[in-house]
Amino acid sequence: MDGHIYGYNLPISEKTKMVPWEEKVRIVEEVKSDFRFKEYIFGCLNCGVCTASCPSNRFFDYSPREIVQRFLEEDVEVLYDMMHEYIWACSQCFTCWIRCPFVNNPGGLVAIMREVAVRNAFEATKDLLKPYGRVLLKVMTTGNQLSADMLQPDFFPDWGPKMADNMENLRAKRLAIPFDVGKSVKTAWEVSLETAIEMYTIWRETGIFEMLEKLDPNLYNVIMDIVEENEERYQELYEEEE
Amino acid sequence: MAHAKLESKWGYVSHGGILRYPEEPPFPVKEYDAHYDHIFEMMEELEAKGEILIHRITEEHQPIAVFTRTGRIKLIPTNKLWHHKSCGQCGNIPGYPASVFWFMNKFGLDYLNEPHQTSCTAWNYHGSGTSNPVALAAVWLRNMHQAWKTGYYPLIHCGTSFGSYKETREQLIMNKELRDAVKPILKKLGRLTEDGRIVIPQEVVHYSEWVHAMRYKIKELYEKEGKAKGIDVSNVRVAIHNACHTYKMIADDYPYDPEVYNGQRPAASTAVVKALGAQVVDYSTWYDCCGFGFRHILTEREFTRSMAIQRKLKVIAEEVKADLIVTHDTGCTTTFEKNQWIGKAHGMYHPVAVMSDVMFAALACGAHPFKVVQLYWNCSHYEPLLEKMGITNWRELKKEWEDTVKYISELEKAGKYDELMEFFKEYDLYEPYSRTSTGKPKASATANMPLFKS
Repeated sequence: MDGHIYGYNLPISEKTKMVPWEEKVRIVEEVKSDFRFKEYIFGCLNCGVCTASCPSNRFFDYSPREIVQRFLEEDVEVLYDMMHEYIWACSQCFTCWIRCPFVNNPGGLVAIMREVAVRNAFEATKDLLKPYGRVLLKVMTTGNQLSADMLQPDFFPDWGPKMADNMENLRAKRLAIPFDVGKSVKTAWEVSLETAIEMYTIWRETGIFEMLEKLDPNLYNVIMDIVEENEERYQELYEEEE
Repeated sequence: MAHAKLESKWGYVSHGGILRYPEEPPFPVKEYDAHYDHIFEMMEELEAKGEILIHRITEEHQPIAVFTRTGRIKLIPTNKLWHHKSCGQCGNIPGYPASVFWFMNKFGLDYLNEPHQTSCTAWNYHGSGTSNPVALAAVWLRNMHQAWKTGYYPLIHCGTSFGSYKETREQLIMNKELRDAVKPILKKLGRLTEDGRIVIPQEVVHYSEWVHAMRYKIKELYEKEGKAKGIDVSNVRVAIHNACHTYKMIADDYPYDPEVYNGQRPAASTAVVKALGAQVVDYSTWYDCCGFGFRHILTEREFTRSMAIQRKLKVIAEEVKADLIVTHDTGCTTTFEKNQWIGKAHGMYHPVAVMSDVMFAALACGAHPFKVVQLYWNCSHYEPLLEKMGITNWRELKKEWEDTVKYISELEKAGKYDELMEFFKEYDLYEPYSRTSTGKPKASATANMPLFKS
């Protein structure tokens, strides 16, 4: 079947059609079992206010109204299909949430769907997040998501010629900031080792490292090398203090 | 009226401890006694049961009351603040936090800027889905516990951290299962109170709310010091862009004010620009997102630049010919500022200066455009704005900055560290900075990080 009788206007992919029905039900049920689900969806007038104000709708084939409608219709086939690429168009601005007369939160539903897609290591998700690896490396190891050294001019040629000037003498420029902010080049600010160690505990206890391992085993190995080195360093410092 | 009101310093207070407007709200209110406001009553109940400890705003924080859109009055602490820094700001817009600290020092306020903080990690969550509510809650509560432990009140610099933390707080208060999941993790980290309670701040406070609350003091500084330097912002046309994550996430918890569109639009940023006497110019797509998209700005940039140019930069240029777009978040500032040059490829080049409210306010009050506001980092043209503001000596100031950078660079390359330290003693005039709350050896988490190179 091309398209969908309720308005989801993308053809269901061949890959989705091949997946056993029970697996598709399992995935959708995993989304619905999240404690936030009941707080993000209440009903739908089909008024389309969410879609009319959605930035992603202007440039992608994406509609927050469709997300809500498919859940209300319990349309497992379409929801499963959406979880591979469709949901990644959402820009997570939550304009849909503030505007919905029912206070539905389609952006929040997308966040749950993405989380489930990552946890289940969908192939499309792996491909889609490949270029995002640098952010994951930074945030998982240092607790900072962005640093000055990530803004290399050849990664951002569309930001114009001034990017090259910005990166020249970067370290000296950062040292010249007369406050203790942004002085580090490798992180946004100097994060203390003990703080990073606490964060690693959070990642372990909440299954985030496992998510990463399934998503990108190579990246996971690089991250764990840094994590383990830092943990050893911390142990040494702690013993010295003792 | 269900709320028996008691007179208080700030207006009126309900039985549940929620500060509310007087009988006659100062502007048409969206929903008096809104569902969200009861979060605060529930927090009091959870504290009474011994489940949580509320990190309260007290007199030492010198709070200022602001209005929200639901009838609740929010207290904004202005002193003794723990800076929850933004990774996007410190990493990519260094003049943003520098301007916040510059004002704090100018006003002689007490604060703590320490390395025992992670970012909220919510940018990553919104971009990649690689986290979950328990992890997000644990990260938030760890940071909040650290602030409480130091005795300083958390001030959140980033809009996404602010939005995410507001939402996480609501989830925690409403869901016992989330509290039960996060509590053992916090216990393991030593991040509960001695009697085993979770620490939750009374209010989640964004820096733009601090700027909003301080706007009349900022105006005084402008009158006294900015104007003395020949700075005049009265002819500057300013288009405001409010950040989605400050006012669309948990929308009932952000300032609104009768001075700003009669309380029908978010007040922060617009109010300080008006207080300074600049011209706020309205445009039809004020409500639109910038196009940042978290993942999109990095890996799907054709969307980001299309949204930024077509829905914002072009509209602002054609409708109001603004000199400046004022923002109050990390992502929006970057998006508008970095996505102008590429418009030349499609005949859609609409140059305009872009900076946050606090950066513009710092410039108006006489802060150094390069040393403090760090405008050299901008890819867009800020020079016409400086001229229009009366900062006509910007070339000399830029040269002064460039000479300083060159000098530091040369000393470092030559290994003259003692000389460098002597220089910084004279140069770093903005103490206190880098105050840490523990006597532990300061070790950095970044020592083993690879340096990214092209």
